[in-house]
Amino acid sequence: MLGIYIHIPFCRQRCAYCDFCSTSQFSDKLMDRYAQALTAQFDDFFIKGGRYEADTLYFGGGTPSVWGAKRIAHTIKELQKRVRLTRPEITVEVNPESCDKKLFKSLRAAGVNRISMGVQSADDAELKALGRLHNYAQAAEAAALCRRYCTDNLSVDLMYGLPGQTLGGLRASLEGMLALEPSHISCYALKVEEGTPLAGQNPVLPDDDTQADMYLYLVDALRQHGFAQYEISNFARGGRVSRQNSKYWDLSEYLGFGCGAHSFYGGKRFSFTRDINGFVEGALGKQPIVEEADELSLGNRSGEYVMLKLRTTEGVDEDAFYRRFQADFAPYAARLDKYRASGHVVHENGAWRLTPKGFLVSNAIIGDALDGACPSE
Amino acid sequence: MDQSKIRNFSIVAHIDHGKSTLADRLLQQCNAVSEREMTSQLLDNMELEQERGITIKARAVLLEYDALDGERYRLNLIDTPGHVDFNYEVSRSLAACEGAVLVVDAAQGIEAQTLANTYLALENDLEIVPVINKIDLPSADPKAAKEEIENIIGIPAMDAPEVSAKMGINIREVLERIVSDVPPPGKGRDDCSRALIFDSQYDPYRGVIVYVRVFDGAFRPGMKIRMMATGAEFQIVETGYLRPLGYEPCGGLEAGEVGYITASIKNVRDTRVGDTVTTLEKPASEPLHGYRKVQPMVFSGLYPADGKKYPDLRDALEKLQLNDASLTYEPESSAALGFGFRCGFLGLLHLEVIQERLEREYDLDLITTAPSVVYHVKMTSGDELVIDNPLNYPNPAEIEYAEEPIVKASIITPAEYVGNLMELCQNRRGVYKDMKYIDTGRVELHYELPLNEIIYDFFDALKSRTRGYASLDYELLGYQRSKLVKLDILLNGDIVDALSFIVHADKAYERARRIVEKLKENIPRQMFEIPIQAAIGGKIIARETVKAMRKDVLAKCYGGDITRKKKLLEKQKEGKKRMRSLGTVSVPQEAFMAVLRLDDD
Repeated sequence: MLGIYIHIPFCRQRCAYCDFCSTSQFSDKLMDRYAQALTAQFDDFFIKGGRYEADTLYFGGGTPSVWGAKRIAHTIKELQKRVRLTRPEITVEVNPESCDKKLFKSLRAAGVNRISMGVQSADDAELKALGRLHNYAQAAEAAALCRRYCTDNLSVDLMYGLPGQTLGGLRASLEGMLALEPSHISCYALKVEEGTPLAGQNPVLPDDDTQADMYLYLVDALRQHGFAQYEISNFARGGRVSRQNSKYWDLSEYLGFGCGAHSFYGGKRFSFTRDINGFVEGALGKQPIVEEADELSLGNRSGEYVMLKLRTTEGVDEDAFYRRFQADFAPYAARLDKYRASGHVVHENGAWRLTPKGFLVSNAIIGDALDGACPSE
Repeated sequence: MDQSKIRNFSIVAHIDHGKSTLADRLLQQCNAVSEREMTSQLLDNMELEQERGITIKARAVLLEYDALDGERYRLNLIDTPGHVDFNYEVSRSLAACEGAVLVVDAAQGIEAQTLANTYLALENDLEIVPVINKIDLPSADPKAAKEEIENIIGIPAMDAPEVSAKMGINIREVLERIVSDVPPPGKGRDDCSRALIFDSQYDPYRGVIVYVRVFDGAFRPGMKIRMMATGAEFQIVETGYLRPLGYEPCGGLEAGEVGYITASIKNVRDTRVGDTVTTLEKPASEPLHGYRKVQPMVFSGLYPADGKKYPDLRDALEKLQLNDASLTYEPESSAALGFGFRCGFLGLLHLEVIQERLEREYDLDLITTAPSVVYHVKMTSGDELVIDNPLNYPNPAEIEYAEEPIVKASIITPAEYVGNLMELCQNRRGVYKDMKYIDTGRVELHYELPLNEIIYDFFDALKSRTRGYASLDYELLGYQRSKLVKLDILLNGDIVDALSFIVHADKAYERARRIVEKLKENIPRQMFEIPIQAAIGGKIIARETVKAMRKDVLAKCYGGDITRKKKLLEKQKEGKKRMRSLGTVSVPQEAFMAVLRLDDD
């Protein structure tokens, strides 16, 4: 079934490492216009009388909580006028400093049943260095409010590989995260993106070996705490995986609305302009705002499937692959087979999957596998 | 033909001392070219030459000069290559002249190459016309430069023209001096015809255009000619003069004249520099003296980075060789690099020039293997082998003894760097011969050095130890017995043939150590650990390890942005294309280059 993503590009302050589509320069008026632009996009996309059905909805950012519960609720309503939401997972990303009891209550009333909170670290000095506006105490309070007034399906983000971070420091941070009693944790290594304020500071990150050790530590520690890994960076307790994100990894269809949002629909990938004003004016004035569009052939699709599916702990099932693409998995398998002896790849019950050690070098392994099926000319 | 109105001369100068600029000024003064046609430095017309400021192929040009005595003179300016690798070509260009203009930089004085070429000119009995250039520079000291000429070369120089080629000062005086001081060519013999080949140029429509200086008799279209060294015979299609902007046909070339001959010659190898052309009508019994076949001194394997470009590389080498008979090549194959060519060069600069021309003019991406000199190996069986490729180096057990080429090197340097240079030469197994003070500030050092110590990074080391002030000249002295070993490099346990080289036993450990370190720096971490080893005959003498790659992951596929991930994989694939797969190891091209540049510091 279809997944829907809605991008909210507003933040109180841009984080030092962030290169996503967002701005801290905005007015209430722009935020209202943005809501109108989203509705206009819905009208544009969902043909009247069409029978659309989705089972996941995700408000990402930016900081949707800054945009506010009222606009979120309104947008959900507008969407429901056009799309049937079947037992949906509705996720909203929030930051600890921009949520309170009222927000959580309103979100719950609007049907939101999953919260993703950008906690990032339990160390206040690290939070400050990252350009975050909250401290750990605020995060703890927000998590408690969330569980009490909205949902206990709470996901937190944890960053590792921060400048000056040690394995011991990470351990403390993880303990702090677990104390928030989340049902889901996403762990991301800090990546210094070009053009960000962080890149300008020339930070010294822990070396690759240390980062690899950190990652393997996280996988192991989370498992001991009942969190099953289901993707390179994602861990869930009690089966509460992100159903929305899972769609990205098994090549299901999803539609993204808002500036910079990506879609995969009807065999095509496309995305909208990252320019917020350009997006609003374009959507309201019915100007073209598609930035990238790419139609995937079946061969490309099977390659993407392998690329994405190998990010998951489930991996690629040879029979399922054949059923879906009427193609033999053998050329991929031939390449993956090389990495079994070294413990990067496992082949069992007809499925190929990467181990945590393999996830760490997944670019190389996946690249090689894809090259095997479609050798460079 | 009135020989008394002809002057044939060369210009001898160090790189950067303004030879090309002076040549341009002489052309201008003789109205040989209009202002509009005057592109800077006409004589150096290869792109590469202009950039490097060096003349690679000799050119000649005929100028008409109206002298102050009211007479019109025909001046043939024969340009010479300015680098030690092209010593022989220089000597043949000089042999075609009666005089040489010696250009000395008023600020820097005489350099080693200038001196070497001046000695060559003196050996050819040329009249030397000293000229002090760059007098416009604030640091110019013309008087000191003149004293240096008198002291070192031993010719009077006090009334040498003081010029600035750049600013066009006193150019006419140089021309007057050429007319008055350079003797006119002789009338030659009547009983035979002889012309010296000092260069040749391949033209796709006319075949080889042979540049000659006629010494005896005359050469006219229709005559049958023979190249005395190669024995090849042809019929002259055209004769003519070399003009700044092209060829000017004429009825014939007579004794004393410089010009060109075309004769539907297909291959420059038939027209070797230094060979004598004679006519069948009046054949000479003896050639002009001084011919020798040029032998390449340095060999290296050239491989296309992309194996599919092999035919392109072959075509490019073929074309380059049409104009450069000193370049040799033959196909070879390497397990590591695939199909390529073993190429012979006059020296390291020649190698670099060819490599750059292949990359620039033919758009080829090349991998060059470590340059090698030619070794003589006496086998226990009594056989004698000539080895220019480490791959062919025999099993040590079967070698009676081996010999390596030794050169006589002359280095001119400011006195304060003598200590540095002696240390360098000592490190390079040099044998000190003598040292002469040129003046109070500068010294000429003589060493005997193994050629294989010079071809690595000697020039770079020389320059870095003297802040760029020292200059070097060398010539082959002969062969000497030496303790040589073949050093193999192993990646992941397999010998990489393209990285093997021959080295003196005493230097093997140090060289091995540095090569494995360089390779470690230049080979990226891969999925498994890669041992890098250096071995002599199976014995490991140095080892480094490239640790297994542990992290290469895009953590986040944010908001379904799959495109980003795909782009990353595509970029990765592009990067892989620039790598060579050696067995299971991917080696970037830079790694091959890095082992050729083992800087001392």
